[in-house]
Amino acid sequence: MLELKHISKWYNVGGKPTFILKDINLKINDGEFVSIMGPSGSGKSTLLHIIGMLDDASEGEYNFMDQAVHTLREKQRSQLYKQHIGFVFQAYHLIDELTVYENIETPLIYQNIKSSERKAMVADILDRFQIVGKKDLFPTQLSGGQQQLVGIARALIAKPRLLLADEPTGNLNSRQGEEIMDLFKQLNKDGVTIIQVTHSEKNAGYGSHIINLLDGRVEQ
Amino acid sequence: MFKNYLKIAWRNLLKSKAYSAINILGLSVGMTVVVLIGLWIHDELTYNKCHDKYDLLGQVLITQTFNGEIGTGSAIAIPLADELRTKYGGDFDQVSLSSWNMERIVAYGDKKFTKEGMWVQPNFPDMLGLKMLAGSRSALKDPSVMILSASLAKSLFGKEDPMNKTIKINNKTVFTVGGVYEDMPHNTTLQDATFFGPWDNYFNSEPWIKNAVQNWGNHSWQLFVQMNKHADVSKVNAKIKDVPMQHLKASEGWDEHVLIHRMCDWHLYSKFKNGKIVGGRIQFVWLFGTIGFFVLLLACINFMNLGTARSEKRAKEVGIRKTIGSVRRQLIAQFLSESVLLALLSFIVAIILVQLSLPWFNKLADKDMSILWANPLFWLCCIAFTILTGLLAGSYPAFYLSSFQPIKVIKGTFKASRFSSVPRKILVVVQFTVSVMLIIGTIVVFRQIQYAKNRPVGYTREGLFQVSINTPDIYGHYDILRSDLLKTGVVANMSESSSPVTAVWSNQIGFDWEGKDPNATPLLGTIAVTHDFGKTIGWKIIRGRDFSREFGTDSLALLLNESAVKLTGIKEPVGKVIKWNGKAYTVIGIVKDMVMQSPYEPVQPTLFTLNYDWTSIITVKINPETSMSRALAMVEPVFKKYNPGSPFDYKFIDQEYARKFESEERIGKLASFFAVLAIFISCLGIFGLASFVAEQRTKEIGVRKVLGATIFNIWQLLSKDFLLLVTIAFIIATPLAYLFMHNWLKDYEYRTILSWWIFAVSCAGALLITIATVSYQAIRAALNNPVKSLRSE
Ligand SMILES: Nc1ncnc2c1ncn2[C@@H]1O[C@H](COP(=O)(O)OP(=O)(O)O)[C@@H](O)[C@H]1O
Ligand SMILES: [Mg+2]
Repeated sequence: MLELKHISKWYNVGGKPTFILKDINLKINDGEFVSIMGPSGSGKSTLLHIIGMLDDASEGEYNFMDQAVHTLREKQRSQLYKQHIGFVFQAYHLIDELTVYENIETPLIYQNIKSSERKAMVADILDRFQIVGKKDLFPTQLSGGQQQLVGIARALIAKPRLLLADEPTGNLNSRQGEEIMDLFKQLNKDGVTIIQVTHSEKNAGYGSHIINLLDGRVEQ
Repeated sequence: MFKNYLKIAWRNLLKSKAYSAINILGLSVGMTVVVLIGLWIHDELTYNKCHDKYDLLGQVLITQTFNGEIGTGSAIAIPLADELRTKYGGDFDQVSLSSWNMERIVAYGDKKFTKEGMWVQPNFPDMLGLKMLAGSRSALKDPSVMILSASLAKSLFGKEDPMNKTIKINNKTVFTVGGVYEDMPHNTTLQDATFFGPWDNYFNSEPWIKNAVQNWGNHSWQLFVQMNKHADVSKVNAKIKDVPMQHLKASEGWDEHVLIHRMCDWHLYSKFKNGKIVGGRIQFVWLFGTIGFFVLLLACINFMNLGTARSEKRAKEVGIRKTIGSVRRQLIAQFLSESVLLALLSFIVAIILVQLSLPWFNKLADKDMSILWANPLFWLCCIAFTILTGLLAGSYPAFYLSSFQPIKVIKGTFKASRFSSVPRKILVVVQFTVSVMLIIGTIVVFRQIQYAKNRPVGYTREGLFQVSINTPDIYGHYDILRSDLLKTGVVANMSESSSPVTAVWSNQIGFDWEGKDPNATPLLGTIAVTHDFGKTIGWKIIRGRDFSREFGTDSLALLLNESAVKLTGIKEPVGKVIKWNGKAYTVIGIVKDMVMQSPYEPVQPTLFTLNYDWTSIITVKINPETSMSRALAMVEPVFKKYNPGSPFDYKFIDQEYARKFESEERIGKLASFFAVLAIFISCLGIFGLASFVAEQRTKEIGVRKVLGATIFNIWQLLSKDFLLLVTIAFIIATPLAYLFMHNWLKDYEYRTILSWWIFAVSCAGALLITIATVSYQAIRAALNNPVKSLRSE
C-alpha cells in the first residue's frame, strides 16, 4: 500500500537542523493494522502527518499506492488523500459550529458528492455507529467518547482505504478506549488499512505489528 | 489604580501591534476629517466677523417681479439712500452708497496694476471698522483722496511711505493716498476690495451716474446701512418695504420692495425665494457637518468592532481576572481607559495629519485656514471630543467583555454566543451604507458636472480671449485697433461688446411688440455688439442674417436668440418690429441659443443690438494655426500702443467658462475626498474583522483542510458573510442615495438623470473592495499549514 524510503524530517532551530525523523524505511501492505509507539516527542505524530500527506518530508521517497507522493503537486496530493485517507485525532477536532450530522457530511461536500447520495451515506454511518439520536447535537453537547465516535465516523464516511489515528483513545477512559479499539479491529477485518499512534501496550496489541520510534529512528 | 489601568492599557497596546495600528490609523483618519470639517465650518460661521459692527451692518436689497418671476438682488437706485437717511434716521445710524467692486488700473509712476475696489461714501470705512495702519477712516471726506489695502500699498510703493503719494486711476484721475488699512481676512465678503475711493468723485466722473441722482428706476448701485442699536430689523423692514413704490408709478407695471439683509446672513443665507431667505451656503455647512459626523461614526464603529472581535481572545484574561477577584466595574474602567488612551493617541496622529493636509485642503476648499493653535476653546473641544469618542467607542466592548462568566472561560467551554456577532454585523452594514452612499453621491456630482460641460454652448470657445476696455484711451479706435491686430497675422478676428461672452451684464424692460400681453413687463438680456462679434465667436444664425456693414439701417436692427423668440411668442419674427423704450427696431435674424450664463440653467431670452458706443469688452479670436503664447506676444504691443496706461490683462474665454463649474467641482472633489476616506476606514474595519474571524476559525479551517477543503472553499467560507453584509448595506443605501441626489439635482434646471448603472457600479465597487480586503485574510488563512493549527491543541 505504501512505502517510505530514507525519509528524514528536520527543522532549523537557531540555524542548526534538528532532526525529528531520521532515515525512516517502512513498508505497509494492504490490510495491515500497524501501531506506532514511542515516548512523547519521538516524532510519531510527525511521521503520521507525513504518511497522511499533511506534512512534507525534508528528504526521502514516499510511494503511496504506486504513486511517488514526493513528486506530486499540492493539488494532486490533496486529491489523493481526500479519496483514500481518513484521519482521527486525539483532540477529535470536530467543528464546533456544525452539528454531528453536518460534521460527518463535510468531507463528502468537499468531494462533490451529490446531496441525495450524501444523505444516504451519512444515515448509513450514523446507524452503524448507533449515534442517530445525536445527529442534531453540537460537539460540545457530547461526551469525549461520543465525540471521538463522530470523529471516526467522519474519517470513514468517504470509505478510505487507509485510516490514520493519532492517539485516538488518549482522551478517553479505558472502557471507551476498548470500544474504539474493537471498532478498529472490525474495520480492519472489513479491509481498511489502519495506522495508529498509541501509548498503551494493550491497544497496540490490537494491531498486526508494532513500530517503535525512538528519537526519530525506527527501533528494530 | 488609574495608573495601573494605564500601564496595562499601554502594554496591551504594544502586545497587539497590528490591532493597535489598525485601530489608531482608522480613528485618526476619522478625526482628521472631523477636524478639517470643523475648521471649515468654523471658517464659514465666522465669515465677516472681523467687522466689529457685524451685528448692526446690513445691505439694502430689492425684490422685483419680472416675467412673473420674483427675484431679489442688491442693485438699488441712488435716491433710496437719501430717503432712508432723512426719513428713517432713527433706525439707521449710518447709510452709505457704494459702487460695485470694480476693476481699475492703479498706477504709481510706471507701476501699474489692475485691481478691484469700491467707490463709497466717506462713512463707509468707519462702518466696516477698517483697521487703519496709516491715515484715518474719515479720509474719504476729501474727494481727491483714496485709501488702499496694505498689500496694494506694498506692491505700489514697496518700502516707501504710502501716505500723501499721488496715484493715477485708469490713466485719467489723480488721487492722493490718505490712508492704508490692514487687508481684510480671507473670510469676508469684501475681501476683494483692495481700495476704497470717494463716492463723490465717482459720481461726478460720468454723466449717466450724475443723471441718476433722482431716478428711482435706475438700479445700478449698492447701499449699506448700519442699524441703530435699538432698531428691530423685522420692524424696520416692514416700515421701509414700500418706499420705492411711493415714488415709482404702479402703472409702469413695476413691482418693487426693499429689505435689509443683515451682515450675519450675507454669507450663509443668501438665497432668496419670493423675497424671503430660503437658505444658501448654510446647506453645505449642514452637509459637511453631517458627513463629518458620519465619518467619525464609521471610525468609532471600527473601534468598537475590533474591540469586540478581540474580546474572544481576551475572554480568558477576563475570566482569570474575575476569579482572582476583579469586580465588573473595575474591568469596565480598565477597558474604557484602554480605549481612551487609544483615542488620545489617535488624536495626536490626527493633528499631525491635519497639519500636513491643510495646505492641500485649503486649495481644495478655496480657503485660508490653519489649526487654531492659540484658541483654548479649540483644544478644549478637541480633547473633550476625543475623550467622548474613546468612551463611546470603548463602551460596547467594555460592557460586553466584562459580562463574561469566569467559570465557562476557565473550563474552556466559553463560546461567544451567536448573538454577540449581530451588533457587529449591524455596524458593518452601517459603515458600508454610508460608504456606498458617498460613492453614489460622488458619481452623481461628477456626472452632473460632465453633463453640463458637454452641453453645446452655441459658439466656439477655442482661441478666444477678452480684454476689457478700461481706459478712455482705447475708445473710438475700433477700426484702427482691429486692422492693426489683423495685420499681425495671428488674429483671425476682433470685436467689441457690452458683455463678455461668458456673462449677460444688462437686463432691461420697456419692450413692446404687436400681440404682446399688455399687462406683462418682459425682461430681456440686452447686449450691444459690433459688426464682427458673431464672426469672432462663431455664433450660428438659424433664421435671417447677421449684422452687416452693407446695411446702413442695421443701427436700428435687432437679433434675438431662440429663447427670446419663444418669450415674445412672435411666429415669424424676422422682419417684425420690436419697440424698445419707444424706439422701433427691426428683427433681422435669430441666433441659436448660447450658454453665456449658468450652464445649469435654461438660456435667458436675450437680444443683440448694434452699438459701437456701449461696449466694454474686446474679444479676440486667434488663428487656429497659431499657438496662444506666440499670438499673445504679437498682440501685446498693439494693445500697449492704443492703451498705454493699462497693463495688458487678458482672460481666456475657455477658462472663464470653466469657472462656471468651480463650485460644483469643489463639491465633487470634497465629496470624493470624503468618500475615499470613508471607504478607507470601512476597509480597515473589515480587514481587521476578517483577520479576527480568520484567527478565531483557525482550528476550523485546519480541520476543513484536512477533510479536503480547497483554498477556494476556505476563501468562500470566510468571504461569504462579508459579501452578504455589503449587499444588505447596498440595499439600504440605494434608496437613500437616490432620494438625496434626486433632491440635489432638483436645483439644476439642466440636469443629468440618475441612471441605474450608477448604482450598479457603486455596488460592484463596494463588493470588489470588500472581496479584495477579505480575500487577503481568507487566502492567508487558507494557505496556513493545517498541521500547525491542529498541533496547537
Ligand atoms: N515547527 C517545529 N520546529 C521545531 N521542532 C518541532 C516543530 N514541530 C515539532 N517539533 C518537534 O518535533 C518533535 C516531534 O514531535 P511530534 O511528532 O509531535 O512527537 P510525538 O507525536 O511523538 O509526541 C518534538 O520534539 C517537537 O518539539
Ligand atoms: Mg503526538
